[in-house]
Amino acid sequence: MEFEFDEDQRMLQRMVRETVAKSRALPEDQLWSTYLELGWLEAPPVELAIILEELGYAADPTPFLATATWFAPLTGRLPNGSGTAVFDGVGEFVLDADRADEIALLTSDGVVVRSGAEVRAERVVVFDPTIHVARVEQPELVAGVPELALTGLAISTVGSCRRILDLVVAHVKQRQQFGVPIGSFQAVKHKAADMYVAIERARALALYSALTIAEDDPERARAAAMAKAAAGECQRLCFQSGFQLFGAMGYTWENELQIHLKRAKAGDLLLGSAAVHRRALLV
Amino acid sequence: MRLAADPEIEEFRAEFAAFLDANLPSAEEAVPRAKSSADVPGWARVWQRKLFDAGWLVPGNLPEYGGRNASLPQLLAHAEEMSRRRIYHSFNPQGVGIIAASILSFGTEEQKRRWAAPILRADITAALGMSEPGAGSDLAGLRTRAALEGHHFVVNGQKVWTSGAHDADVLLTFVRTDPDAPKHKGISVLLIPTDTEGVVRRPFGSIADPDDFDFNEVFFTDVRVPRENLIGPLNEGWKVANGSLGHERTLLWLSYAERLEDLIRDAACDEEWYATLLMDFQALKLLGYRQLGADRNPAEVSVLKLFGSEAVQNATLRALEAHGTEALRHPASTAPHFHMNMEVFSSSWFERYARSFGGTIAGGTSEIQRNIIAERILGLPR
Repeated sequence: MEFEFDEDQRMLQRMVRETVAKSRALPEDQLWSTYLELGWLEAPPVELAIILEELGYAADPTPFLATATWFAPLTGRLPNGSGTAVFDGVGEFVLDADRADEIALLTSDGVVVRSGAEVRAERVVVFDPTIHVARVEQPELVAGVPELALTGLAISTVGSCRRILDLVVAHVKQRQQFGVPIGSFQAVKHKAADMYVAIERARALALYSALTIAEDDPERARAAAMAKAAAGECQRLCFQSGFQLFGAMGYTWENELQIHLKRAKAGDLLLGSAAVHRRALLV
Repeated sequence: MRLAADPEIEEFRAEFAAFLDANLPSAEEAVPRAKSSADVPGWARVWQRKLFDAGWLVPGNLPEYGGRNASLPQLLAHAEEMSRRRIYHSFNPQGVGIIAASILSFGTEEQKRRWAAPILRADITAALGMSEPGAGSDLAGLRTRAALEGHHFVVNGQKVWTSGAHDADVLLTFVRTDPDAPKHKGISVLLIPTDTEGVVRRPFGSIADPDDFDFNEVFFTDVRVPRENLIGPLNEGWKVANGSLGHERTLLWLSYAERLEDLIRDAACDEEWYATLLMDFQALKLLGYRQLGADRNPAEVSVLKLFGSEAVQNATLRALEAHGTEALRHPASTAPHFHMNMEVFSSSWFERYARSFGGTIAGGTSEIQRNIIAERILGLPR
């Protein structure tokens, strides 16, 4: 096995990072058309994971995640516009169902695709104002979360955690107390180091999951459960230590830390938190 | 990135597997057990010599030093094959993994022939004298003094935690040769035969058992060491120290992966922790494979050490707790016996848990690893 990005993947990562940094201030529809022009929706699993990590890092406001990792794997195609999917287990919290152009429903008769306008979806107010989740009325659903959907949420959550750590590191380097940067205190350093290790662990498992999907490996279901569980555990630590190390500044609405804390937490709660996927690993 | 194995590596692996099938000592031969990390029973010496002669002992070495110029991914395959069969890598692990490696990296041709080859062939054994009562995490604070007098160094001072010293033939000893230089300068490395006059070794028991003798205090009183036993340049010992530990550290994560795999195979963990065990094992392997690549930040080895050693410790603690009052038994056997492994890996739950602290304390404590990650990866101020 080889667990390093090849040259093309490295280049893609650099390009995605640059694009995401440059287009931070763009409105949602322009972001969406940028992603389409660059062909990001068509990326195969590992490359998609590279893209999603950066979109998670940037708290992307578009329906990219649901389109690429909920709709596409269920239907085997890209939607006309944006898309999402409904299956048993999503409950009242279907990502982007209130704004998707096409919705795939996993019913006992198989996958049925409807236009967004045909499906009654009501946006639910949640703690993270940057994501859309909606309640969809559809009684006859069957279970079948695509592995790519778990991997997608996992790697996006890793991206949020990386952003939290970057913000925290910048803060503790600059914030002075007792005449020194607080980042020189070991109590602070050790929390930051633990966040880094948790991110490395979750990131490795998310990329592995993408790789098992790309190669249609028999381990893919377990790998996806590991990825989602590890991402959930990672965000628990990064939320807690990140918030704590930021001090009172992190408690405010103006500070951008809150956006990423919420993204990370929501990423765990959607499609089953760490505890749910840990249980799945027991069988 | 790919899951499939490299055919070249698999060929290498198959060749080693065939060698093991044909040459592994039998359970009947392997009855005498090693009593310390420099005590190599006769059968194990024969076995090590066989590995050496066939170029399978340290495959990354040159053929004359027990290797075959293997690449890092090949070394990994070699180690994986040993772990899979629960073969302990060497009964003098510091001698083979650190001391011979340091001599091969920093010694002269004469020193390589005179010391490294015999250690690798298990003709002699070696122990590593680094830590002192006042120099643990702060290794550069070491005070054992070596003064150059003519053709000899005269050594005075004390080492501690010197694993296997009482059974070793030679000690790779870090000494201060320039007391006036800043503390990272002024350190040198000497090979000191343990039968030299003035060397006193006192083994002491571990938490596991009063008779579990591996640790030693070593006292040096006016010990005269020939100048030709200086390894590397005078006062450049810090480089050797980093190099020595570097040798040990590149694939150190594998020993933690082995322990995690043992716990998975023996189904010894409690249900609640089982998922963590699986994830830690998988993630550690993935990060370890990734570290084989070029242009990695060497500080990332600290991630592997910290993560691996703490994963083993947490999993072992969970296993201990899961066994309830049964975990009180000591000594006890908690896993199947494998004659090529060390008993300590199947000893009582308390002992296995206690020994996991070797991972989080020796070779740079977890606290030091966290400092390294924070300072050298995240860029926080020292």
